[in-house]
Amino acid sequence: MKKYFYYSVFLALLLLSSCTKFLESNPQGVPTQEAFPTTAADALLSTNAAYATLRNWYYHSGGFPILDIMSDDAHKGSNPNDGLNTVGPYNNFSITPTQDGLDRWWSALYQGVKRANVVIEKVPEINMDEALATRYIAEARFLRGLYYFDLVRAWGGVPIVTSTTPPLEVSRSTKEEVYKLIEEDLLFAVLNLPAKGSYGGNNIGRASNGAAKALLAKVYLFKKDFINAEKYAVEVIQSGEYNLEPNFIDANGKNGQHGVESVFEVGAMENESALGNQYANTQGVRGTPNRGWGFNRPSLNLRYSFETEDPRLKGTIIDLGDVLDGITILGDGTTPDETYDDDGNLVEVECYNRKVWIPGTSTDTQFGHNRRLIRFADVLLMAAEALNENGKPGEALIHLNRVRERARNGNPDILPDIIETGKDALRDIILNERRHELALEGHRFWDLVRTGKAAQVLGPNGFISGKHELLPIPQNEIDISQGVLTQNPSW
Amino acid sequence: MKKTLYFHKLVIAGLLMLFSGFQLVAQSQISGIVTASDNKETLPGVNIVVKGTTRGTITDIDGNYILDLLPGDEVLQYSFTGYETFETAIAGRNEIDVELQAISELLDEIVVIGYGTVRKSDLTGAVSSIKSEEISKITSVNPQQALQGKVAGVHVTSNSGAPGDGVVVRVRGVGTFNNSAPIYVVDGMILDDISFLNSADIVSMEVLKDASATAIYGSRGANGVILVQTKTAEKGQTRTIINFNAEYGIQHLAKSIDLLDGRQFAIISNEIRPGSYNNVDAVPNTDWQDLIFQTAPMQNYQLSISGATPKAEYYIGMGFMNQDGIVPKSSYQRISLKLNNTYHVNDKVKIGNNFTITPFKQRNAPNVTYQAYRAQPLLEPYYADGSFGVVYNVGNPLADLAYSNDYRSGVRGVGNLFVEATIFNDFILKSSYGVDASFHKGKSFTPAYTIYNPDGTASQQNNLFSDLSKNSSDNFSWLWENTVNYNKVIQKHNINAVAGFTMQKIRSEYFGMAGQNLIRDAEDFWYIQPSYIVDETNNINMVQSIYNGVDAGQYYSMMSLLFRTNYTYDSRYIATVTFRRDGSSKFREENRYSNFPSFALGWNIINESFMQDIDYLSNLKLRASWGKIGNDKISYFDQFSIVQSGLFAIFGNPDAAFPAATYSKSGNPDLVWETTTQTDIGLELGFFNNRLTAEFDYYNRQTDDILIDLSTPGHLGNGQGQKVRYNAASVLNRGFEFNLRWRETLGDFNYSIGILGTTIHNEVLRIGGNSGIDSVLIGGYLGNGIPVTLSSVGNPIGAFYGYVTDGIFQTQAELDAYPHSSQADIGDLRFVDVNGDGKLDGNDRTYIGSPIPDFIFGFNMDFGYKSFDLSVDIQGQTGNKIFNGKDVVRPDPYNFEEYVWDRWTGPGTSNTEPKASFGGYNYTPSDKFVLDGSFIRLRNVIFGYSLPTHLVNSLNLQKMRVYVKATNLFTLTKYSGYSPEIGGNDVVSNGIDYGIYPISAVYSFGINVTF
Repeated sequence: MKKYFYYSVFLALLLLSSCTKFLESNPQGVPTQEAFPTTAADALLSTNAAYATLRNWYYHSGGFPILDIMSDDAHKGSNPNDGLNTVGPYNNFSITPTQDGLDRWWSALYQGVKRANVVIEKVPEINMDEALATRYIAEARFLRGLYYFDLVRAWGGVPIVTSTTPPLEVSRSTKEEVYKLIEEDLLFAVLNLPAKGSYGGNNIGRASNGAAKALLAKVYLFKKDFINAEKYAVEVIQSGEYNLEPNFIDANGKNGQHGVESVFEVGAMENESALGNQYANTQGVRGTPNRGWGFNRPSLNLRYSFETEDPRLKGTIIDLGDVLDGITILGDGTTPDETYDDDGNLVEVECYNRKVWIPGTSTDTQFGHNRRLIRFADVLLMAAEALNENGKPGEALIHLNRVRERARNGNPDILPDIIETGKDALRDIILNERRHELALEGHRFWDLVRTGKAAQVLGPNGFISGKHELLPIPQNEIDISQGVLTQNPSW
Repeated sequence: MKKTLYFHKLVIAGLLMLFSGFQLVAQSQISGIVTASDNKETLPGVNIVVKGTTRGTITDIDGNYILDLLPGDEVLQYSFTGYETFETAIAGRNEIDVELQAISELLDEIVVIGYGTVRKSDLTGAVSSIKSEEISKITSVNPQQALQGKVAGVHVTSNSGAPGDGVVVRVRGVGTFNNSAPIYVVDGMILDDISFLNSADIVSMEVLKDASATAIYGSRGANGVILVQTKTAEKGQTRTIINFNAEYGIQHLAKSIDLLDGRQFAIISNEIRPGSYNNVDAVPNTDWQDLIFQTAPMQNYQLSISGATPKAEYYIGMGFMNQDGIVPKSSYQRISLKLNNTYHVNDKVKIGNNFTITPFKQRNAPNVTYQAYRAQPLLEPYYADGSFGVVYNVGNPLADLAYSNDYRSGVRGVGNLFVEATIFNDFILKSSYGVDASFHKGKSFTPAYTIYNPDGTASQQNNLFSDLSKNSSDNFSWLWENTVNYNKVIQKHNINAVAGFTMQKIRSEYFGMAGQNLIRDAEDFWYIQPSYIVDETNNINMVQSIYNGVDAGQYYSMMSLLFRTNYTYDSRYIATVTFRRDGSSKFREENRYSNFPSFALGWNIINESFMQDIDYLSNLKLRASWGKIGNDKISYFDQFSIVQSGLFAIFGNPDAAFPAATYSKSGNPDLVWETTTQTDIGLELGFFNNRLTAEFDYYNRQTDDILIDLSTPGHLGNGQGQKVRYNAASVLNRGFEFNLRWRETLGDFNYSIGILGTTIHNEVLRIGGNSGIDSVLIGGYLGNGIPVTLSSVGNPIGAFYGYVTDGIFQTQAELDAYPHSSQADIGDLRFVDVNGDGKLDGNDRTYIGSPIPDFIFGFNMDFGYKSFDLSVDIQGQTGNKIFNGKDVVRPDPYNFEEYVWDRWTGPGTSNTEPKASFGGYNYTPSDKFVLDGSFIRLRNVIFGYSLPTHLVNSLNLQKMRVYVKATNLFTLTKYSGYSPEIGGNDVVSNGIDYGIYPISAVYSFGINVTF
């Protein structure tokens, strides 16, 4: 009898000991975050994932090119009813905190931040080639800086997340704190990323030392730290890694992808939306050929602002009847070719963004446009701007005129060299040059805001000083935070 | 003392038996007739055994028996299913007539409850049961259908009338936003579904409704538990009983939808688009419904054999069911094999098994009912050359039928082995190991085809490449249960207790693939092999997709401790305490275990001395219970934070894709079970010697911690629109149940009338956090992506929402005077400015009805006169609404329901039906499309005739009965669709008529023979 008792006690203990294991279950077919990234291969996968956000449609200002639409360069586009209440209000600053797109952009940027944080937090723990690990971390910090730079420019002081496990509630940091984080990330990237030229083959397109410096220069411009802006912009120029494409349209076009002018661009493949980027499809020619939705219609204001015979006008705007790569642009049947206001004034004509054009007639190939986030012309103009602010107009003019020279395309009768050396006048000239060189690439609105010209230029469109410099924090984010997040002033 | 005496007698009897072997002359004979107490009819097939021996006999068709006795035979035992076993001393008599008491008439009916049985009088929980005779009345793949209108508190609706389709069962309302289905316990095996069971093999189904009854199932009991007992032979049954039943039925469409005919459609088209048809009297008229529906046969055969030896009982059941659908190319065939055995190792130990194996084959038709509803009546199905005609916007339903080939098949085996030992007289130890294994596979093939427009161009209805998809899934679970039961009566104390330890593991995996452009269309080539699949241009294979994974709801392990004690004092006061502790792998370690207690009290007032003088009362009992139970029917997956792969970074020049992986959204490791707290108060009454019985229950069940998806802050980096599951909602269900039955026998005539009903009040008490976000749950998405349900605090789960209509804008003045949408015009619906803000927009959408009935009822009658029997079952519900979803989605010109004929054509012509339009504004979801779903249905009428005894006996049979049956004969409803029974497994998309496969009416004939 006693024997049976011991048997049963033994059995019971056996059962109990196996219990905890019995009730363990792991998810099938997918690793959990506890076990990732743990290998050198994982480190590469997770670093690549931080780049994948760049092709997320939402990353591009929430999907629609609202930055250009808010500027004086563009209108909503597409046909009159398409996106009337979702995208339309950005054109005249009638948006509200629940406006379509705000939460998409916000979420996508933080998703990018999270992916970067995975690398920054976990890769140091992986037993792998230390130099490679450091490069991955530097790439991730570059990308994190890039994402936060959008956040801080769009919304000001935002919640700072530098961990993969942030608390549910994080209140807003100050704008300065966010800039400090960006600066630290980019300085780390500058120190630890290789030069563009040392990336070969399958690594072309990864963040480089030059990209980090160029981005840093831009950050300093926004901070009005012109000394540092000059330093990093000039370093990029002097690195010898970059030059201007001889042909202006190649600066954004297929021929110039990953070319000499490209400082940092988003690789994308044609034919397949899973591997492509809808950024260009959103703005592609609507109708015939059917290349996209036709948002971001260049404004008459932009059209008329170009200097006489500036070839960049045709490099920026596609008009109906144009023939590109042998394809005649007929446009959209449901979109009026010309739009008049109540007083009979012509206010818009049907036209499209030339800079996202990809040769071809199908919708799919349009997904293959490689968006240039930073190109060398931008760096030259940043350098010019910083040098002018630092009292070196002579040096500034060299870089400015280099951009104009390329635009001139050998025609001595147009776009004469600038000789102005008065600081204020030159500042305006450089801003204007930025407009023409970088139109519809997402720079104009923020250039106007950071130079304090927004109220003057965009006031007629509805821009209110002290309010519209920043977008409203998405209302649903405020709701979810139950008031921890505070709204921007005047919204 | 008594015992010793008895022992002596046994010894003497045994010795006498020994002698009797040699002295055959010493035997005597006893005879008699056995009748039933309930209807005074003779009972054939009653087992009669000489107590303490294996000798016995069985009554013939007239209830007569003759039995040879041996000296020493003292006591006779009469037993028969459904009747109380009766013992009587022979006492020298040679003729004994016996009247057996029907169990249903007795208070001391034994009720099966979880992990044991209890006398009905000792029961403190709310348990309803139905027996085999009721269960076998319904011919269906789903035995649960038999509960419909028969058990108070249970609501059964069909998903559709397609052969083999499942049913939706709800016990006492809708308890959660997630899976609200009850669990089934078949001979101890805990299962999600019982469609593999043949109704003929079921002896009883008990529905456990309140916490006292369900708490023993702990984390799985919250939505009710249905216990299913399958048939076994009677212990000591001496005769082998062979029963054969054959039934043949014809199904047809009970009701078609009134749609416009060709001429009416042409007239209305001309109003919408003038000049569409020059001569409305000359347009064709096609009744598409008539073309797609057929009458279809249904066959059902059962054979069962049961018998016993002194050491063993066995039951073998076989069934074959074959149902063709009323839509061509839909059918269901099922073979069910059942084997239940018990072996008595000795007096104390028995071992046994229950096994069911069920292979099935199913064929599914495409959803042509929806196409037939939409197809314009003035289009013709075929061109003059016999090819399929184009049906604009919809597709020709006949072509879809012709080209669709969708099959499913599978096999499910459920069974267990058990050993049961009695020790120390009062303890019964039981260990049972069971498995539930199933394998399903499906294949679907569509050949390449094109339907042409009249001008010879290809229409939109075409398939450029042939398509083949195949999928399979397998499911395996095992359950090991160990229990000890203790039963003891000590004077006035009656204790019935059970304790146990159980373990269960459930695994399910699926696999599927799809390919295109097969080399041949014939079924012989329906395999996905690269060599057989060719691309028309370059001969490369076109395997489209391969997928493989586990079923997230069917992947977990459980371990449980359970305990229940039922104590009765003096048959008057009863207390039940139940407790289960469950551990589940679906939850993280900290939340893995949970306790589910319940307490219940009962008072048999009838047994109090002060009740003895009240003659007309035969039962009076009050009971009350309270307890907490859980719902674990959720995905195992939500607790985990997983890694997302399938991302790509694009590098290189030219661009090339490189794989990427990173953290997906964070899971919620804090998830716990959904918990239901239920209170039940019951009153049981019996009058006039229980000729009238009544049972009333009040229930109140509140489910908390319901899992719903909530938005997460963007800074977590989960991505836009990504939600995470939280325990963050509460729902209340409360109501009354009643069940009344009157039984009486008047000479040759006996009858019984039952009426039962349930009220349901369903209300969402809480959703989401305290902020405005996620405080409602939107669902019920129509085909055009527009949602029509909104669950919010204070309203029922899945309540319909939309605009409230108030007549038609008759004049421009009326239109100008009232807030209206910019799309509204004269002759259009007037939507009410509900929030009174002076403008009409989305904020004016409001609650416009509930899909949950507030009252469900059943009315059942059985009559018997001599050899004739008649049973009539009526069932219905009130208070629920149906959203006519099929009518609302109109992107293109479709046919209309006939009500459109009463349209507005000018001021004063109609104030309910707007001017005709092919879609748009007037088809915005509004209360116009919320229709009354109340109905009363004559569900089942059976008329039977049992052949006279002499005729049957001359055929060497025990019994032969023939019957005719009509199912879904008649439905009284205002609903315009095929059937007001609109099911839906998703509780937030319930009661929406998406254009379902209709439920058919069935007329059948059957014969039942007992050998």
